[in-house]
Amino acid sequence: MTTLLIHLWVSLAVAAPPTGLTVEPPPHNGGLNLDLSWELPEDDGGAVSGYAVLRATDEAGPYVLVADALPAGTHTFRDKVTTDPRVDPLLDTYWYRIVSLELGAAPFVPADPDTPDPEAHASWMLSSFAATAPVVGQPRAVWINTRLGWLHLMALIGVVGGLMLYYARRAQQGEEIFIRRIPGIDAIEEGIGRATEMGRPVLYVPGIDELQDIQTIASMLILGQVSETVAEYQADLIVSCCIPIVREVADEVVKAGFYQAGHPDAYNPADVRFISSEQFAFTAGTNGIIHREKPATNLYLGRFFAESLILAETGFVNRSIQIAGTAEATQLPFFVAACDYTLIGEELFAVSAYLSRDPRLVSSLKASDFIKIYVVVCLLLGTLLNTLGYTYLVQLFTLGEGG
Amino acid sequence: MTLFEVLERFQTMDRRWVFLGMAISIVAPMLFPFNLGFKVDERVQSLYDTIETLPPGSTVLVSADFDPASLPELEPFFRANLEHLFRRDLKVVVLSLWESAPPVVKPLLRRVAERHDKAYGTDYVFLGFKTGKELAIKGIGENIFKTFPEDIEGTKITSLPIMQGFKQAKDFPLLVSVSAGFPGTKEYVLQIQGQYDLTMISACTAVSAPDYIPFYKAGQLRGLSGGMPGSAQYEKLVFPDGPLPGERLLATQAVNVLNLGHLYIIGLIILGNVAWLLTRPRAAAGGSA
Amino acid sequence: MRRTAPLVVTFVVGVIMVGEYFIPHYRYRMITAELIEWGLVLAAAAFVLGLINLVQVNLPKVIRREQDWAYKLVMLIALVCTITAGALGGKDRLGDGQIYKWIFDFLFTPLNATMFSLLAFYIASAAFRAFRARNVDAALLLGAAVVVMIARVPIGESIPVIGDYLPKIMNWIMDVPNIAARRAIFIGAALGAVATGLRVILGIERSHLGSDG
Repeated sequence: MTTLLIHLWVSLAVAAPPTGLTVEPPPHNGGLNLDLSWELPEDDGGAVSGYAVLRATDEAGPYVLVADALPAGTHTFRDKVTTDPRVDPLLDTYWYRIVSLELGAAPFVPADPDTPDPEAHASWMLSSFAATAPVVGQPRAVWINTRLGWLHLMALIGVVGGLMLYYARRAQQGEEIFIRRIPGIDAIEEGIGRATEMGRPVLYVPGIDELQDIQTIASMLILGQVSETVAEYQADLIVSCCIPIVREVADEVVKAGFYQAGHPDAYNPADVRFISSEQFAFTAGTNGIIHREKPATNLYLGRFFAESLILAETGFVNRSIQIAGTAEATQLPFFVAACDYTLIGEELFAVSAYLSRDPRLVSSLKASDFIKIYVVVCLLLGTLLNTLGYTYLVQLFTLGEGG
Repeated sequence: MTLFEVLERFQTMDRRWVFLGMAISIVAPMLFPFNLGFKVDERVQSLYDTIETLPPGSTVLVSADFDPASLPELEPFFRANLEHLFRRDLKVVVLSLWESAPPVVKPLLRRVAERHDKAYGTDYVFLGFKTGKELAIKGIGENIFKTFPEDIEGTKITSLPIMQGFKQAKDFPLLVSVSAGFPGTKEYVLQIQGQYDLTMISACTAVSAPDYIPFYKAGQLRGLSGGMPGSAQYEKLVFPDGPLPGERLLATQAVNVLNLGHLYIIGLIILGNVAWLLTRPRAAAGGSA
Repeated sequence: MRRTAPLVVTFVVGVIMVGEYFIPHYRYRMITAELIEWGLVLAAAAFVLGLINLVQVNLPKVIRREQDWAYKLVMLIALVCTITAGALGGKDRLGDGQIYKWIFDFLFTPLNATMFSLLAFYIASAAFRAFRARNVDAALLLGAAVVVMIARVPIGESIPVIGDYLPKIMNWIMDVPNIAARRAIFIGAALGAVATGLRVILGIERSHLGSDG
């Protein structure tokens, strides 16, 4: 009788497990995730203080703990079955059990406190708490994200690329392409001429961002044109870099520019300088160059942050001609206030095409203009349709999860 | 000297006089503090409410991307944020993409955690600094275990109880970006917030705030605290009864410095324009003569 | 060959990395993860080259006692001291009582904060010089700037009568015209960025390799 009562008491004390566990691969997914969902037991938030997720590669186990102490009320969980398929290969099936953790239960004490053992932890949980029956899940990988927004984006990139090649071909066949005058870009060549007359160097700062940033890439393209012009004028060029790899690339670009201009001997690697990867140490170093070497023309083209005004004001005091260009909207007001010319946003990306006067490059600007018209039409139409309650266009531009 | 000459000279005065005035307007309120009170902005309120709605026990990812230069603006927020998270019994995983952040972040995190009797590795962890900027952010989106194999103490993070089940950014119910610039909030939004549909809030420097407002308006950021005023407003929400014993509300105090500094610049601009307008006709006449 | 090889590498790597956005399959992501790692390793290795460049540029000037050589000497001494302190301190370099931590707390932190705080002074002088109501556009900009600046600080709220309206006007300026202009710049720049990226990937842009000549 006593044994029966104790048994009854124990079984009453054990909180009920969740029900209806399902394991499904998420749609549009790369194949490493499984979505778990379950129905909450009645005593969720009461006797059940939370949930733990256990996973095994075989129905019988051994199970390992993949998520502990998910708070009460949680009924979904996305499990990444392997963090690196190169090390831990992806399997065809995985088995899951969800454990209801009881309020006030004593915590798990590992044999060695310094080395957590997810397998021992899981086995302790299965013996201490109620758990669902094992449910199997099969990861499924898709090759193409077929969400509407992503397909649309892919199509847009394809169209821009196609248009570019098309216009480049037409330009090669001799078609004239109109490009509006951009005074800031015209001033670059004037600035280099002025530096030559004054016998003072041109300072080029390609921003402080990493090489992979598109503004830095654009800046490297411009540097190619600038260094060629500087070499033709036989002036001096100082390039001040904040990122070591940017300096290495800038060095190659300047070398190529001097070579193309027919003055490879005038190129001096000591003029392409790495200052510091610390933002303000770099700013102090570049300010030092402006104060001591007194460049006649300062070109700030790339991605800039808080150093923009400090550099531009120092250049102003030094009476240099200053031309800045950035797509970093926060820094534009500072450059506008302290520089002679400022290239705003997309103008920065047009500089190398404009300076090169290469019809193929200039024609490529036309492709982005077409997409701009498309975006403007979509904006106007989308605003109208959305106001009327139709959300088709919004969906077209909604990316959602990329998987 | 005639008034005309004075006004002309004023417009072309040596900028060191401008600097001196600025220095006075910054130092004066520090020496003679005064308090005018302020209201809480909707964006900061929304930031606070986002944290309030998380169930206790949830694990929050905090990216502390600031350096000593931006400490005055962001340290008060970071401090109040940790206090807020620990007080609500949330677990905190802190990491940084700025190499100069760990020496600032580590002692602060430890101090606030100790005040709440939180255990390292179970209730909070500091994963330290990772180079790579946007690439590191992509890594955080894909696989934190690989991007930060060890925490700042050199412990393998796979062995930390707090990290169990949190392999990538989207496993966390909230991402807090304390951002002094690049890499920071903008890069998180562009690289992984949209891709993984992350719930994210941000505290940034005043200069970046206008840049991030569109993200807030678009719902990509659930809350935004801009610069020192934002930090002061957040302090007001987290510490409604004033500072904790032995602590100071740094941003609340510093708001007075902002007050006078702004007034000084506004005064300069207005005076400059008045001087320019009064001297313009005669200068133009002189020029054409 | 000197120009073809970089163009081919750029095209292949560029297409693979753009594909990452549209191909979620884990096998594809294994390739892109590998490429990203190569990128990280290259960027980290460039730090050594950066260090070499610093010494190459500055040391000869110190040795030859060229103009301003003393500044370069200070820089080189700071470089050596910081590297040594970091290397000697190892993993514990950020612990209390470590030289590296001392350098960080008492040299780097105040120097960094000093450079950043220069902004307050430079903003004052640049604003004083540049903000003139020379025409209607400039006057509008000036008016908006003054309203936003006053409303941004708590003192704006304490101005009688208009104090209550200032934050609303500021929010309108920041949320409507400001965001409209920023979005325009942002969209234009994003399209420009896509176009630049594609120009480089497709090999139309070759300025960085030296023009065709």
